Amino acid sequence: MATSNTEEIEEVERKEQEVVNFDEFPPEVLIKHPLQHTWTLWYYEPDRNKTWEESQRKITSFDTAEDFWSLYNHIKAASELRQGCDYSMFKEGIRPMWEDDANKCGGRWLINLEKKQRNTDLDHFWLEILLCMIGEAFNEYSDDICGAVVNIRTKGDKLGVWTANANSEESVMEIGRKLRERLKIASKVTIGYQIHKDVMVKVGSQTKNAYIV
Amino acid sequence: MSASPIARQTTQSQNIPSKRVVINDPSQLPIDYSSTPGGTLFSTTPGGTRIVYERDFLMNLRNSPISQTPPRNMPSIPGELLKNTLQNFSTSAKNQINKDTPVIEESAEQFEMDM
Repeated sequence: MATSNTEEIEEVERKEQEVVNFDEFPPEVLIKHPLQHTWTLWYYEPDRNKTWEESQRKITSFDTAEDFWSLYNHIKAASELRQGCDYSMFKEGIRPMWEDDANKCGGRWLINLEKKQRNTDLDHFWLEILLCMIGEAFNEYSDDICGAVVNIRTKGDKLGVWTANANSEESVMEIGRKLRERLKIASKVTIGYQIHKDVMVKVGSQTKNAYIV
Repeated sequence: MSASPIARQTTQSQNIPSKRVVINDPSQLPIDYSSTPGGTLFSTTPGGTRIVYERDFLMNLRNSPISQTPPRNMPSIPGELLKNTLQNFSTSAKNQINKDTPVIEESAEQFEMDM
């Protein structure tokens, strides 16, 4: 722990010389705000020569609000990714796949977007989900959050918020309600929760919703 | 901010819980700015130690000077993921390094010596 902190301070000092003169700023704006969890950003790009799992690339991990922003401010918005690509952000140690131990009993709140929403809602919804996760907006249910995925698809983009336990109804519902509230989803639209196990064995293209809000 | 005299009479005051930590040597101080000796103060909330941030608070941090600096492992981020302005930035930075590297001319003699 001590070593990594030292590295971080050295890192900041080095950046100071490179980029801006931090002496101009009052010390309180130079303090990084620690997050409850360390989060990892993943990027998926379809590649015919690789398996799906191999195409999932870990981009970076961060554990402060400022490190989250410096990443977010420098990478492309979800709407700028190519068709077929995904961003995923998961708690450190959880892989963005059903098979991971943390996900295998879980499911996801799924928000299907219409094509035209890529320009109007996609980036704002994705950021809102990320802020909910790093800010622990689900309060005591935040422990059940595993991560979130955005899929960029021609047929319509998708946003999923993954939780650990599909059987824990109270937690799933509370997280769903909070998402609706924070994303300001129109009252006529319902969003559904799908259990990963059901998605794996699905017949046809529709997976039934275990819960809706 | 202070309560009216009447309110103060009816409200029982309670001391803010505190503990005293004795530091004998600067090396005992926490290594990062965000900690206080003996524990981190602002991460302690009633009923637990979850660090919760409101949306607006996080949004305000977006424009802080540290949030504007490039992410720490930028070289390992695939180029196609970086915003276009940054791709240009990183190429020009590389050129800069090349320009600054001293060119060693093999033919030039450093000094002459009579043998």
